[in-house]
Amino acid sequence: MHSTLSFSRATTVPTTNYAFHSQSPINLRFCGLRREAFGISILTRSSSGRVRLSTRGRSKRISASTGNNGTPPKSFDYDLIIIGAGVGGHGAALHAVEKGLKTAIIEGDVVGGTCVNRGCVPSKALLAVSGRMRELQSEHHMKALGLQVSAAGYDRQGVAGHANNLASEIRSNLTNSMKALGVDILTGFGTIVGPQKVKYGKVGFTDNVVTAKDIIIATGSVPFVPKGIEVDGKTVITSDHALKLEFVPDWIAIVGSGYIGLEFSDVYTALGSEVTFIEALDQLMPGFDPEISKLAQRVLINPRKIDYHTGVFATKITPARDGKPVIIELTDAKTKEHKDTLEVDAALIATGRAPFTNGLGLENINVVTQRGFVPVDERMRVIDANGNLVPHLYCIGDANGKMMLAHAASAQGISVVEQVTGRDHVLNHLSVPAACFTHPEISMVGLTEPQAREKAVKEGFEISVAKTSFKANTKALAENEGEGLAKLIYRPDNGEILGVHIFGLHAADLIHEASNAIALGTRIQDIKFAVHAHPTLSEVLDELFKSAKVKAPASTSSPISEPVAA
Amino acid sequence: MANVLQTSFLPSTSSLRRRSISGSKGKSQSLQVKAKIREIFMPALSSTMTEGKIVSWMKSEGDKLSKGESVVVVESDKADMDVESFHEGFLAAIMVEEGGVAPVGSAIALLAETEDEIAEAKAKSQSSSNSTPQVVEEKPKQIEEAAPDVPAAAAAPSVPVAKAVTLGSAVHPASEGGKRIVASPYAKKLAKELKVDLGTVVGSGPLGRIVAKDVEAAAVAVPVAASPAKPDPVAPGIELGTVVPFTTMQGAVSRNMVESLSVPTFRVGYTITTNALDALYKKIKSKGVTMTALLAKATALALVQHPVVNSCCRDGNSFTYNSSINIAVAVAIDGGLITPVLQDADKVDIYTLSRKWKELVDKARAKQLQPHEYNTGTFTLSNLGMFGVDRFDAILPPGTGAIMAVGASQPSVVASMDGRIGMKNQMQVNVTADHRVIYGADLAAFLQTLAKIVEDPKDLTF
Repeated sequence: MHSTLSFSRATTVPTTNYAFHSQSPINLRFCGLRREAFGISILTRSSSGRVRLSTRGRSKRISASTGNNGTPPKSFDYDLIIIGAGVGGHGAALHAVEKGLKTAIIEGDVVGGTCVNRGCVPSKALLAVSGRMRELQSEHHMKALGLQVSAAGYDRQGVAGHANNLASEIRSNLTNSMKALGVDILTGFGTIVGPQKVKYGKVGFTDNVVTAKDIIIATGSVPFVPKGIEVDGKTVITSDHALKLEFVPDWIAIVGSGYIGLEFSDVYTALGSEVTFIEALDQLMPGFDPEISKLAQRVLINPRKIDYHTGVFATKITPARDGKPVIIELTDAKTKEHKDTLEVDAALIATGRAPFTNGLGLENINVVTQRGFVPVDERMRVIDANGNLVPHLYCIGDANGKMMLAHAASAQGISVVEQVTGRDHVLNHLSVPAACFTHPEISMVGLTEPQAREKAVKEGFEISVAKTSFKANTKALAENEGEGLAKLIYRPDNGEILGVHIFGLHAADLIHEASNAIALGTRIQDIKFAVHAHPTLSEVLDELFKSAKVKAPASTSSPISEPVAA
Repeated sequence: MANVLQTSFLPSTSSLRRRSISGSKGKSQSLQVKAKIREIFMPALSSTMTEGKIVSWMKSEGDKLSKGESVVVVESDKADMDVESFHEGFLAAIMVEEGGVAPVGSAIALLAETEDEIAEAKAKSQSSSNSTPQVVEEKPKQIEEAAPDVPAAAAAPSVPVAKAVTLGSAVHPASEGGKRIVASPYAKKLAKELKVDLGTVVGSGPLGRIVAKDVEAAAVAVPVAASPAKPDPVAPGIELGTVVPFTTMQGAVSRNMVESLSVPTFRVGYTITTNALDALYKKIKSKGVTMTALLAKATALALVQHPVVNSCCRDGNSFTYNSSINIAVAVAIDGGLITPVLQDADKVDIYTLSRKWKELVDKARAKQLQPHEYNTGTFTLSNLGMFGVDRFDAILPPGTGAIMAVGASQPSVVASMDGRIGMKNQMQVNVTADHRVIYGADLAAFLQTLAKIVEDPKDLTF
């Protein structure tokens, strides 16, 4: 996955870019809610909360007794200013407060950013609907369970309302969690005017200038629309519009078959649309492990009302007008010759995301963006035009393009806060899971098989692959959802987990056992002794670890083998 | 990476036989030729596997296979596996199509050693398995060869294509004068599945786009279209006691009839006095008006008042009020059956309708009906009155809402309300309808309206 991500960074157009962004919401939601709960508990149990905070902040700095936001340093207004209150900025802000930093966050639009307002969160609401519709419509599936359901239908307005309500609920959760901790929310567009100095303000108002010891750029991204495509917001749309579900077209073309495209195909086909994928690469679902994408295509594409054109660019898309449909010109990706013309009711552009870094004032500190992305090192420190680090300036999330995922942004933010509070920390991006919330779901962490093989050849080690099927899992069969595969790529010599890919029921929730193992460096020979409740879907992974053939013996001091209580 | 199994190609019995005579090489030419056709069996991919599903054929019939090449993906109870070839040769015949299930050890395809043997292998596959689609596909070709005098347009379901291409796609404004066929993704998928050529389909979607229901309608119509192609009526040379495989048309009819069982139908009958209609018919017969046209017209006028009876339900979730009233009338031709359609029968006057009907019947006899002339019906009439049948019921053609079976009109003794006994011409009609969308009261009301129109037929000539 890592190399896929760097590929995303190298190109502005890739489908994977956008795609990677889309799949984070559940994690985010968990994150947001958990933090909020933490904040509220402090408010309600004020004394104990304070004690807790001061203990935590002990090593760093004395926690303010008046509020939870830290005391300002003498020469600066704040310890930390974050530009952009998306998921990355939010994660960083909460962790900064926990560390005793006086923190402000600048937001020019609405709190929550893309993920909460125009991305993962509302799309999950739509996918929740599509999953249920799909189930209710599957007569075969219902019959097999002995259920009888009369014709399932839906009310578009109601579905759209659910998505909108969810977004506002999560948005207010996020806002409240920051307010509760005392993070200053400064409204307006933030611009860096010099080292450690930021101005912000709404258009037409006077700008305020604030100073901070450290600054984090977390401005995120916007949908990328290739040239030649005219977006009218009605018949030619981006995910921003699609999530409002203003209409359900009979036939929609989806340009890009990454995460976003796939998720929307799931939504639209469940609601009765027919879908045509347009993919620039030679195969659908690039970026996934090839075996997983092959299986996914068999389950998510072939049996559904979907067809596709691969190896073509949508070079010109004209919105529907004057009684004419949406017209899409397809050009062969290799020969650059006109290949076909499509006429559809709507087109969704899911070709990737472009960083939103204009107007940040980067020129004031001699930083030049690369195709809009802010260059950073592995510690998210911003690199200037001469290749030198800019002191006290960091960039996290989609704006740096390292890994365009909401929870990756948050993890990067936490990593930065760790650094500025004195603990060196480098985020292992290979331990960051990714998921696509189709029905069934797809999830992954670490390397794909081809990436692992390439690495193995380069570094001279051996790799093995283990696989288990959902067909052999009791819980999956009880749900009558036996379709699915879990795949483990590992080193047989030392039991290191290189990558795990899951396609099947609740794959997005199952991946964390693997991602945590990678993050903590747990080896297969140790984790295989961990016990899983029966019958649960998690046994798919249990079996996966057990079926791996590792030569190294289990470590004697494995935490799992140590008795907890005598 | 792919689970490649090497166990797929078990030697067939014939090749075993060959091995036994391998000492005398070339002794029996014919035996050896036969021996070169190998069967590909469903492999056992796990100890618990009893049957396997063909996920996809990676090769198609006629493709050359080299040793070790993946041929087919098989799904077992545990996982999906690529199965690779053990021999070199040509994939001659696929006996189990994608999505099909076969028990472990049963033949799923035939492998020919040389290109020349493909045909032989195909023949073998047909004789060994009469459920294979190949049988159905091969038939039209045989028919064409057998009956060169049959006009090409109706000779086989695949032939009208050429003629209909312009017709089907020209409807679409952006199809560049028929060069392109615009069909929705699902329509394309269905067409492949139901073996319908999109060129023959008239699009009814936005801007003339072909949508799924058009393909379904065409699939239903195909067997009917094929019926005139049946070269020789069975009557003369029937061999008693023989088992005759279905022709393409019979197979398709069979499928449609079985499919009709998935529709919950019910029947409502009605006796209609036809004296007035008979009188009208007598009066305008000289102007070329036919009884069929009169009945179609009367039915259409009744349908105007009861649009629900002219509706149809295709997906089980919704139903469509058809925008026009197209009366399909079943006509028996050469042992087959075709349903020419009187389009907009409610709007066209009775004289035009009669002329149209004559034209359609002539075309049908000459096997020159265009697809839209037999597959666009929204309500079907079936009349067996001419054979003296007084009542029967009809099977609802898939994709429509109702069909009316019309019996003979015959003089009957009728007791009237005022206690008198009289003689009246009466016919019995019996409507079969899809109860998912059309209820008893709908049909009753429709029949009442129809009876009123027939018993006072002045509106028929307007």
